[in-house]
Amino acid sequence: MLSSEKRSLIRFLVIYLGSTFVLFALGTYIFYNFQKHQILDSQNDKLQLKSEQIVQKLRELHQTFDKPLLYPNDPSFDSAIYDLDKAYIFGTFNPKKIVWEKEFYRDGDKLFYLYRMQPYYLGAAYLLVSQTFNKKPLEALVKMLVLFLIGAGVLLTLLGLFLGRLFTAPMRESIEMMDRFIEDTTHELNTPVSTILSNIELIDTLYECEGKTEMKRIEMASKTLSRLYEDLTFLKLNHNYHRKIEKLNLSNLLIERLEFCDTLIEAKAIKVVKDIAPDIFIEMDRNDAIRLLDNILSNAIKYNYKSGRIEVMLTAGKLEIINDGEGIRKEDIRLIQRRFKRANSSEGGFGIGLDIIGQIAKWYNFKLEIISDTNQPTKVIISW
Amino acid sequence: MVNRLLLLLLFTTLAQSKEPPSLVQQNCLECHSRQKIPSELIYRRYLMKLSTHERIAKYLFAYLKNPKIENSIMPKQFFLKFPQKKALDLNDTVLKESIEAYLDYFDVRKKLQLRDK
Repeated sequence: MLSSEKRSLIRFLVIYLGSTFVLFALGTYIFYNFQKHQILDSQNDKLQLKSEQIVQKLRELHQTFDKPLLYPNDPSFDSAIYDLDKAYIFGTFNPKKIVWEKEFYRDGDKLFYLYRMQPYYLGAAYLLVSQTFNKKPLEALVKMLVLFLIGAGVLLTLLGLFLGRLFTAPMRESIEMMDRFIEDTTHELNTPVSTILSNIELIDTLYECEGKTEMKRIEMASKTLSRLYEDLTFLKLNHNYHRKIEKLNLSNLLIERLEFCDTLIEAKAIKVVKDIAPDIFIEMDRNDAIRLLDNILSNAIKYNYKSGRIEVMLTAGKLEIINDGEGIRKEDIRLIQRRFKRANSSEGGFGIGLDIIGQIAKWYNFKLEIISDTNQPTKVIISW
Repeated sequence: MVNRLLLLLLFTTLAQSKEPPSLVQQNCLECHSRQKIPSELIYRRYLMKLSTHERIAKYLFAYLKNPKIENSIMPKQFFLKFPQKKALDLNDTVLKESIEAYLDYFDVRKKLQLRDK
């Protein structure tokens, strides 16, 4: 799966699943509360029914006033009677805290029902009935809701994946088409570019040519094409390419690549300030190092002013290249590191340079820093 | 179990054979018994209407100080069958003590029991 497709799919799934989850969670919460009240109501109904039975029994006792008066008790319920001043008369329990203002209330795992009696049989103005709250129906409800949420989550994730793939299909096709195009172009570029470059070299060595300036221009254009070819090949083969890691003299390679870019530098009359420490070695594949340096230098030249300035500094563990130019807006710095993204379209290119730099830095665990802002010099720092 | 039943029987018998306090006997029940006025029924009526010991005591005191049909808690028909009471010749302290003794004698709290499981 392409990284941009993956990113789009993840974004879609996050939004889709997030909003669906919030909606489901809300619905489940409302349903749970509704059912909880139903369960509570049914248990409160039992309390109410029991209280009616007790009142009936108290009425009988009051009328008969037999000695002794046997208080009606049921092992499943607790009950107590209180006089008009809320003083305890008798009962199977005597709770310390009673909420006299409420008809039904819950305290811990106990449910209470306070019935206001009228007339006051046996002097009882209040009858308090209590039973332990039966948690089993509530636990069963929670279990059912959790299972429902898991089931719905799995189903919706699968649906989301299917929909996401369906929505990203056109984008995938476009990118695949672009990749195929680049692949074909790369393949077709290889032979002519190599032929031009080798022939220029031959002409330069074997013949005294009159049109030196024109030859330089051809060489410059060919080198640009050559670099483009190398970049595209890198992107195409990056993950499958067998790297030959070796101890590389980065100082020499940097000087070599600066010389390779000479034609471009001269064309723009850029002043290059070098501060390259000798014999800085690095464990790296040569081609990767060339791609890394060429792309940084190419950007520094391409986006520089005419007669601008480039500073190249190499020390142990750090390469720093600073170039003049319009700079990059701070908010664009992250964006341009993506493939085919460019902050400035005034210059030619595909917008793959920084992507290549980023990929190489990531592969070798280098730290890549790009410091810039509008109308400020751009500083690219690679540290290892 | 048998022992518990025997004990319960003994206590019940003792409670039933419990004599009313002399103050109640002398100031209340003597006359009530003679005229066959049901004291327990009156107590139940008070209990059903007023609920608390303090309220009953207050109401009884007021009635006994001024015993008229309209001041009584009993229905009017009650007085068709039983004679209207005359005011007692007792000072307030003795009257209050008698009322307390009467209410204590009939107190429902002492009569209520849990069924033996």
